[in-house]
Amino acid sequence: MSQLASHSPVRHALKGVREAIPLLGGYIPVSLSFGLVATQAGFSTWEAAAISLLIYAGASQFLFVGMVAAGSPLWLVVAMTLLINVRHVVYGPNLAALLPRSRHWPWLMHGLTDQVFALALTRLPQLPTPERFGWFLGASLLAWGVWIVGTVVGATAGETLTQRWPLLGEIMPFALPALFLTMIAPRYTDKRWAVALSCTILSALLLTLYGWSNVAIPLAAGCGALCFYTVKLQTRRRSS
Amino acid sequence: MSTSLWLAIFASALGTLLMRVVPFLWMQRRLNSETGLNNMPQWLGILGPLMIAAVLGVSIMPVNPSAISWLATAIGLFVTLLVWWRVRSLGWPVAAGVAVYGVVQVIAYI
Repeated sequence: MSQLASHSPVRHALKGVREAIPLLGGYIPVSLSFGLVATQAGFSTWEAAAISLLIYAGASQFLFVGMVAAGSPLWLVVAMTLLINVRHVVYGPNLAALLPRSRHWPWLMHGLTDQVFALALTRLPQLPTPERFGWFLGASLLAWGVWIVGTVVGATAGETLTQRWPLLGEIMPFALPALFLTMIAPRYTDKRWAVALSCTILSALLLTLYGWSNVAIPLAAGCGALCFYTVKLQTRRRSS
Repeated sequence: MSTSLWLAIFASALGTLLMRVVPFLWMQRRLNSETGLNNMPQWLGILGPLMIAAVLGVSIMPVNPSAISWLATAIGLFVTLLVWWRVRSLGWPVAAGVAVYGVVQVIAYI
């Protein structure tokens, strides 16, 4: 009986929910902001919620409502939204070997955001294979649900909330860098990884500082990969 | 909202979903298949952790950049790393980092 309970999909999903809670520190303030920005751009609460429900990709949603409000041609709005989201192409293949085959993936992969990918890539290898599907289901559904609810709350009461607790929106997002730091810290035992990761972090930060946050993730990862292979080449040359 | 705007939302949603699903399913079918790959390509395994590092770099930027928020970020990250060093888990280091970051911000606000 206890063995049956330990293999229960619900229990695995709840484990995913529990471990995805730190992500909410970033999701809640950003989704509240999105709801607020969308209503200020002329969208109704339910239209803003529909965008969060269907597109579900933070930066591109802000761009979408901003461009629509500015009167940009809709084909350009769609093209720019997809261009920002093109980084997601490399997320799925990284998780392919870690997740079991299932007919549910075509809709479950909708929940594969930057943050869920980062958490899944770190946690899935540490979990037994039978637990992984439930874990991903719980983690991704929690993040998606909170994103939609946050949008609705932001659209209806965002202005009141930010006026009443002005620091809340500044403090909670710090959960994201803290979480990602704990995810990559174990790789700092290897010199080549340490150089490549530091190069990536610095590149991403600099690109964000200069207003290139939309392309910072793929560009910085590219810089990091270049560092990774450069260090490898130099090591080989020295040894030969 | 006009029909054309709804179409733009659906097109963006479908495109984003396909970018998430298709590469995943393609790789899953290729792995361990007779004609496909036995292991994930090395470059892809390298790109994964680098993408996490890039997301970290982007998220380090404070919501309202100022000397105080950058100081709070530096202290918060240091404490996160320190707690991680001791407990080697995800939850407590994040909680400690956010708490310290918040304390620095609140002290500066007062």
